Amino acid sequence: MERLSQIGNHLTSAAASDAVEKAKAKNPEDAVIVKAYRTALTKGGKGKFKDINSDVLLKKLLDGLFQTLPGFDKSIIEDVVIGNVLNPGAGANEHRAAMLAAGIPSSTPFMAVNRQCSSGLMAVNDIANKVLTGQIECGLAGGSESMSQNYGPKSAPVISPEILRDGQAKKCLIPMGITSENVNEKYTIPRSDQDAFAASSYQKAEKAVKGGLFKDEILPLEVEIEADDDDDDDKEPKKTTIVVDTDEGIRPGVTAASLGKIRPAFKKDGSTHAGNASQVSDGAAVVLIMRRSLAEKLQLPVLGKYIATTIVGVPPEIMGVGPGYAIPKVLELTGIPKEAISVFEINEAFAGQALFSVKRAGIPLEKVNPRGGAIALGHPLGATGARQVATIMRELKTGELGVTSMCIGTGMGAAAIFVKE
Amino acid sequence: MLSFRTTGYNGYGVRYSPFYDNKVAVATSANYGLVGNGRLYLLSINDDGSITQDNIFDTQDGLFSVAWSESHENQVLTSSGDGSISLFDITLSKFPVMNFKAHQREVFSVNWNLVEKHSFCSASWDGTVRVWSPMNSDPLLTLTSAKDHSVIASAPGSKMAPPLSAKPSLENTTNDCVYNAVFSPHDANVIISCNSASHLQIWDIRSPQPLQMDFIAHGGLETLSCDFNKYRTSVIATASVDKTIKVWDLRTISGVAHAGSPLQPHHNVGPTPLNRFIGHDFAIRNIAWSPHSGDKLLSCSYDMTCRVWNDQTDDKARFLNKTNHGQACVNVFGRHREFVVGCDWSLWGEPGWVASTGWDEMVYIWDAKRKY
Repeated sequence: MERLSQIGNHLTSAAASDAVEKAKAKNPEDAVIVKAYRTALTKGGKGKFKDINSDVLLKKLLDGLFQTLPGFDKSIIEDVVIGNVLNPGAGANEHRAAMLAAGIPSSTPFMAVNRQCSSGLMAVNDIANKVLTGQIECGLAGGSESMSQNYGPKSAPVISPEILRDGQAKKCLIPMGITSENVNEKYTIPRSDQDAFAASSYQKAEKAVKGGLFKDEILPLEVEIEADDDDDDDKEPKKTTIVVDTDEGIRPGVTAASLGKIRPAFKKDGSTHAGNASQVSDGAAVVLIMRRSLAEKLQLPVLGKYIATTIVGVPPEIMGVGPGYAIPKVLELTGIPKEAISVFEINEAFAGQALFSVKRAGIPLEKVNPRGGAIALGHPLGATGARQVATIMRELKTGELGVTSMCIGTGMGAAAIFVKE
Repeated sequence: MLSFRTTGYNGYGVRYSPFYDNKVAVATSANYGLVGNGRLYLLSINDDGSITQDNIFDTQDGLFSVAWSESHENQVLTSSGDGSISLFDITLSKFPVMNFKAHQREVFSVNWNLVEKHSFCSASWDGTVRVWSPMNSDPLLTLTSAKDHSVIASAPGSKMAPPLSAKPSLENTTNDCVYNAVFSPHDANVIISCNSASHLQIWDIRSPQPLQMDFIAHGGLETLSCDFNKYRTSVIATASVDKTIKVWDLRTISGVAHAGSPLQPHHNVGPTPLNRFIGHDFAIRNIAWSPHSGDKLLSCSYDMTCRVWNDQTDDKARFLNKTNHGQACVNVFGRHREFVVGCDWSLWGEPGWVASTGWDEMVYIWDAKRKY
């Protein structure tokens, strides 16, 4: 076999100067994704996960993950990084606890990350880079968010008056919906375009659900919910166990016309509304990353290869433009032409910012979110980045390259490239 | 064009006899040379245009290269995947008359000394070039490049350094598989060799420190073949995985490592070649300068073609006072249906006849001047 690989080198390395070929090349030191799963995304405040916190979500998802890995020695995981936005301290305590409860030994360290809506991707970036530098051989990245439990007035930012005297700093307080209106106004994105984009997100997601396309990436979770068909307070509420395996946010039969009737949510004369903005959701996603050599040793099939991530800063008042700057930067960094990318999974915080980003990055719309985005599926803040990795790993065909990207509150954008194997 | 099928065996090397105008030796391997036996074919080209098989020798491992003895008309050398070199007498059957075993890994080329005629050299994936006498089963000399082959060459104009195209492996941690080593046709003591770390090395076997010059020929990409020009004593050509052939004048190469010194940092790109032939679509496996003309080069490639090139930097061409850019590739032979691995010029008859062989189990004898 040594002879085969030596001669094989003559052919495969002929295009080694080609960035795409280089990205697709399989080397023992690659950081590869072995598993990527998510929970179903449920509606915040009223969905099936509303009574459980992000730590329970994470623990249950990890249990599900390890069930797909029979005989896997959890102690080989050398680091766990979980993204979260709303929990106090980004879930540093409760997610460490959840990881231990899922049977990962205490000898495995834990880190909580919070770069707002990109936290899940930052976790992937952190673990993958640690694998690439040789700091660890195997790590678990992910994100978990219960917006039902932790979203609300208590999650509003508090910035000291002294800091707020600075004009730029003050803009970090602008609500996300207003930043969306700012993008829509500044780049004159008509509401009709936004509604058409949002409607297509719903339609694509509906089609994907009908086709069973999310089945592979969603691990069904068993949760107890209160059967509240009566309002008797004196009785102990009856609890029933149900299996959650379907996204709740997807509404059938949405059209641009039906969205056109919804009133603007943030500004009277605005164009952002409940139907063309991301939903408030609960959910979690995890990605198991390791050195290719280790995956081969353990005989674990490889889902995909991590290539690179970049994060850029943009003005806070138009934070939604982030992907429009982050995607070209990551393509430039790797030398990969945008034509070589088959799928762009761009988080739909708002239809307007997603449309602007797609336009600025020069991406054909048909390559964006082929199975719908956060407008239809939901946006559990800290989990979204890892959720998109789980989704894109199913959207891409073997040998194809994909980009996942999102805008980030307070003015940033992140983008990462993966290869499906 | 004449053809012969080496059924069941994939061609690796082909050579015209220097003694008989109609004999060709072909080194072949079963299963594309990846695993299994080898077979040496001795073929005769008949007056009626047919090719007949005079003799065959089966070997334990695949054969990667063949060379006729320059001193005995019936002797042929082969090099094998198991690290052995064998000398066959084509009038006998079954077994070689001599075995030479010192290499630890695949021997990818053997080349007979054209000047002194009593020695030959071999290049192996064990990282060494060895010089042998046909009389002695042990090598006369072993040329080892004790150099750091983790040196990474950077492509011109690029900020990022491309890694070597071949990664060091467990069996070859220094990443210096030698693919080809040939004696100079002008000096019995000079050998050039090229390796997987993209290095071209020039050796003088008289010297206590044989390594005379060492430079990166193809920017970090594997260099698979090299050959001395038969007319211009200081001109060589190299061919690489980077799909190009480079023509070098050794006199113009300066400031590179000499006699075992590490590569100079200012020369990590490698020196500038005299000429460059671009046209093959995949890695180039073998090249040979014409025995009849100083400006003709034959190449064969993984792109399933053989090409004939006209080197405009030939001394004669300099006085023609016209540029012929884009006219370097004078012929493309596309009959092979798989990788073309071996090619050679005929020394006989009308200049321009060549032989080629490849993984499609075919040996073609064709005229480099004609379009097929």
